[in-house]
Amino acid sequence: MSLLELEAVGKRYGAPARERLVLSEVSLHLEAGELVVVWGLKGSGRSTLLRVAAGIEAPDSGTVRFEGRDLAEHGEDLLGGGVGYCERTFRYAEGERVLEQVTVGLLARGVPPRQARARAQRSLARVDAEQTAAQRLATLEDGESVRVAIARTLALEPALLVIDEPIRGVDLLERDGILALLRSLADEGIAVLASTSESTGLAGADRGLVISEGELRGAPPAELATVLPLRRPAGRRAAG
Amino acid sequence: MQSPVNWALLGLVIERPSYAYELAQRFERTYEGALSLSSTSHVYTALRALEDRGLVEEIPGSGTGRQPKPCYRATEGAVEHYQRWLVSQLAEERRRQRLFAMELAALMSDPGLARGVIDGYEQACVREGGDSPLRATNERSPDLGSRLANRLACEQNRLAVGARLEWVQYVRRELKALAERRAPAR
Repeated sequence: MSLLELEAVGKRYGAPARERLVLSEVSLHLEAGELVVVWGLKGSGRSTLLRVAAGIEAPDSGTVRFEGRDLAEHGEDLLGGGVGYCERTFRYAEGERVLEQVTVGLLARGVPPRQARARAQRSLARVDAEQTAAQRLATLEDGESVRVAIARTLALEPALLVIDEPIRGVDLLERDGILALLRSLADEGIAVLASTSESTGLAGADRGLVISEGELRGAPPAELATVLPLRRPAGRRAAG
Repeated sequence: MQSPVNWALLGLVIERPSYAYELAQRFERTYEGALSLSSTSHVYTALRALEDRGLVEEIPGSGTGRQPKPCYRATEGAVEHYQRWLVSQLAEERRRQRLFAMELAALMSDPGLARGVIDGYEQACVREGGDSPLRATNERSPDLGSRLANRLACEQNRLAVGARLEWVQYVRRELKALAERRAPAR
């Protein structure tokens, strides 16, 4: 059993007469400690795939299981703890300062305020953003803002982190820092499912996948692998 | 001058004047995995070719003594030639991409075959993108110039992967349209 399993997932949007297929028979398995990045253009189904994988949206067909449990039935229980969907935007009503934002999810789950603050600070330190704790959200750079968003999700100690376009809008020289952070989280045992519309976002991934017109493509057909040698350099960790 | 080795050596001489043996060592360090010298004497042949074209010259007085070891420097016009050659590489990439498209077109009579190639090409691109080293793990060389060159090459490659992936999506649409146009006739 894999940590996350999507089997023949289908998703459609729009009224019946003008329905649009967004995900078509998508299957994907993700293991603990694996970093999988899905590349796709706008409108490819990339973000929908991540929301369905995190249990934010239910599929129209197929199943999504996390630790063997169907997300359609247990989504509310698993979202936050087991499955962390990293929103890159902030709700200002939940606090104007960074530490408040990272603490709020813990308080909502009944963690006492002092412990919640300590966990939030550890989480900020984990993403190299402890210096932003007292900052107002509006003063954060794009890269810092992504780190804080990840810290907010990590504070809930998820086994799976799902993040849509982590490097979108991030300064060119800071993107690798964000990707290295995701890589290090996976190396610590967290499963990370990320998406990107920029090929630079694939760097460091154990597996890169492509989604277009709702179809997810993974491993190449065996007969072509012999024609096009798709070797990984020696010393790379094997995909899980 | 077509030899990439000659141009690469010229680049090293432009970077800083060097002796032939030192150039061979710098060449190995800088272009490891991208270009190779057939032997150390390859450097002498290349330097002669560059000298004949007026792109490098011996620094006066550097080749004298009991064991003459001439030191080479770039001539005044060399940098401009080198810049023009670098820019012309773009045309070479365009030629390779065009050649690939033409070769792929040979399979268009059966869109399924072409799609198979495109699937493999897409996967090769995605893996290349994934294998691209992150900046933090790409800083092994103690030489600042080499580290910068590594980062520039790495970023160029990562962006090129994106362009190829987008091109693959375009080819897929074209193949799908082609298959649909042919379907009613069958």
